[in-house]
Amino acid sequence: MVYSILIGGKAGLGIKKAAQVIATTLLHDGWHVFQQDDYQSLIKGGHNFSIVSFGTEPVNTGYSRVNLIISLDKRSATEHENDLLDDSPGCYHIYNADDAPDGFADKDGRHISIPLDSLLKQLSSSGSVVSMAAIAIAFSWLGWDADKMQNTIKKEYKRDREENIQYAIHVFSIAVTHNINSGLARLANHSKPKSRLLSGNQAIALGAWAAGLDFYYAYPMTPASSILHYLALKQSTHHIYAIHAESELAAANMAIGSIVAGAKTAVGSSGGGFALMQEAFSLAGMVEAPLLCILASRPGPATGVSTYTAQEDLAFALHQGHGEFGRVVAAPDSIERAYSLSAELLCLAWEYQSPVILLSDKHLSESSIDFEQFSSVPFADDYTIVAKDNNDYTRYSDTEDGVSPLLFPGSDNVDDGTVIKWNSHEHVALGLRTDKARDMIIQKDKRNRKSHSLHLATKRYKRVNIYGDRGTPVFAYGSSVMELLEARKYCRKDFRIVSLVYLLPFPQDELNSFASSKALVLEHNSSGSFATYLQQHLSLEIVKRILRYDGRPFDPKELAVLLEEYLDA
Amino acid sequence: MRDLSTNKENTWCTGCGNFGILNAVKKAITSMNNDGTKLADIAITTGIGCHGKIFDYLALNGIYGLHGRGTATASGIKLANPKLKVISFGGDGDSLGEGLEHTLFAAKRNMDITLVLHNNGNYGLTTGQFSPLSRVGYKGLSTPSGSIERPFRPVPLLLEAGATFVARGFSAKPDHLADLMVQAVNHKGFSFIEVMQPCVSYNNNYADLNQRIKMMEIIPQTCSMAIELASNEEHVYLGVFAKHDYPSFHEGLYADISPLSIRLAREERIALLNN
Repeated sequence: MVYSILIGGKAGLGIKKAAQVIATTLLHDGWHVFQQDDYQSLIKGGHNFSIVSFGTEPVNTGYSRVNLIISLDKRSATEHENDLLDDSPGCYHIYNADDAPDGFADKDGRHISIPLDSLLKQLSSSGSVVSMAAIAIAFSWLGWDADKMQNTIKKEYKRDREENIQYAIHVFSIAVTHNINSGLARLANHSKPKSRLLSGNQAIALGAWAAGLDFYYAYPMTPASSILHYLALKQSTHHIYAIHAESELAAANMAIGSIVAGAKTAVGSSGGGFALMQEAFSLAGMVEAPLLCILASRPGPATGVSTYTAQEDLAFALHQGHGEFGRVVAAPDSIERAYSLSAELLCLAWEYQSPVILLSDKHLSESSIDFEQFSSVPFADDYTIVAKDNNDYTRYSDTEDGVSPLLFPGSDNVDDGTVIKWNSHEHVALGLRTDKARDMIIQKDKRNRKSHSLHLATKRYKRVNIYGDRGTPVFAYGSSVMELLEARKYCRKDFRIVSLVYLLPFPQDELNSFASSKALVLEHNSSGSFATYLQQHLSLEIVKRILRYDGRPFDPKELAVLLEEYLDA
Repeated sequence: MRDLSTNKENTWCTGCGNFGILNAVKKAITSMNNDGTKLADIAITTGIGCHGKIFDYLALNGIYGLHGRGTATASGIKLANPKLKVISFGGDGDSLGEGLEHTLFAAKRNMDITLVLHNNGNYGLTTGQFSPLSRVGYKGLSTPSGSIERPFRPVPLLLEAGATFVARGFSAKPDHLADLMVQAVNHKGFSFIEVMQPCVSYNNNYADLNQRIKMMEIIPQTCSMAIELASNEEHVYLGVFAKHDYPSFHEGLYADISPLSIRLAREERIALLNN
């Protein structure tokens, strides 16, 4: 069983934080959790809501029909009036009596009002926030006691601790009188290994760091910004340097500078910012800079819809940059895979001195799960080919696999006799510019051999995940796979999920067996770019392209119904 | 010391001011090397334009990057290895047009790098279009009726942006320029040298410059004096306009620790994550 709690209210009230506190407390009790946050591009006001879905099995995406709704204001009560599950007992919508829609009344014993604002005014002199009520109500509903609530608030909130606790206790005592206890506290599983709440972007950041990342350059852009924020916080403990540059142009060029000096470096942005990095992406292709790029998508084009999810950037990622050069594009299909994939990509970048793209989307990047163990991942230093001899060193030596050994200025194994020249112009082996026909061919051929080597090397990793062993294949990538995995729990028809983690090179070997199959494709855009891409490489008979392009993730039960319809067809 | 030249054929126009700048760089590097700076600890970056060809004529480590982005790549190199002395060469179109943001932000951050601005008052390599430093009325292919825009004043601009060492040299005075370069590279923080140079093909102001230059013997006492001298329309003052101490960006970021020297090993990283 999966249960869900929704907290809604104005931006700036601490709704996401309250949801994180509830999710964290749940995972400490041995629950699997999934938290997703729906927010607008504003600082205060508007309408934000967070959903925490939890169960005894891993939860792959959040549910929009929920067991408990906590509405801190009028707008939330109205917006979510129909989001309570119909068919389950013990579901409640607790709303704020002081900020309720006109005529909003308890029709079925499931809508309960508590005067959250007046209680706040009565009790606290200053500081405490109304989102504390969400914690109190959720704890009461889950069947956790007041002591557990107090300890949790003490641990999670540093400011106005006493006022917060006083307010929470008061709301809690009122909630208890409504007998909303679901009894779920009894299902705690204390034998489940310890886990922590981890977002997709945190997984991406830590995967790259585990693989040896030293520097991260970015300009803030949702939904990639939290990578910058997270790594900036880790400087003193992890010796990682996250730099907020003056623009994406600067970020990408600074990153390539750091690579020249030998640092493992990444950049990240969303579509618009990544568009500005294209120039430097091609620079990385020409100078052979191992640059890890993280592209976290949101609906476009242009500014688009800043804080919602989409998969519109596949073709953009595949064709990033001008000119000819090799690259890898891969998209994690879970938050766990985001960690390992980020590491794999940094290693591939360094082994083959090429730019690589990790393609994510808002739903994967900004949602969180219970994450148990950081596994051992490949380490980029182990794949970096350094020149053994610095005499007569040339940066772009012509080798069989196209990989020219590296040396870094200022490092211990470099002396005054060595000259290391990287060049954005076409160049000769030494790194000096050329426009001679023969030189051009030598270096283009070298880079093409390297690109081929890079593409072959991706085979050492798990490029495709197939979930299920019978039924129609449903193709997807990124967070769409998470939705399919969750929908599979409810779908009465068998289907297999074919998840492409590596998108470029196209994982032909793993997919040949699907040639001429009838298939469905699920993706979050209006053009079906992923389906088109699949058809360029596989002779699939695509029965239906399931396209969603309203910025929202699917509710898994709704998706199951949709799938049944098309699987019947 | 080994030769700083390469075997690359020089394709600057005969009489180009860049020859003087190249000579000055070689003199400056030789002098720094004599004083103990290893060639291995020097890195150069360039943008794209006539100035950028200096990359090919110098047997020094570095990257011949993108148009306008030379100070950004230089900043990235410095941050990854603060031991390196990083010199960025830029043109006036390059560093103050396409790459203005990077130039100003490198100064704002007081990034410990040197920017040598080759000011020839036009875009030479792309056939003489007006540049951010061309005078009003400058006629080029893209401004056949004469430029309408006023030029930037690089010295006041960079002073205002936060450069902590600002100087001006002349390509026809390579000894003086070499001395400025040594001072600039040894300065801790962002150092900027505007180098006046004629473009013999499109903006040959050699005679005019030669007539108007005036050497400053001392650093102006105040910023307003520096700006006044730098903006003087009668004379082109050469020398150091300003030099002061302010912590550089990498010192603010990680003090005197070199980041690559303290990076954690593979096992340490996994252990820390699971801690």
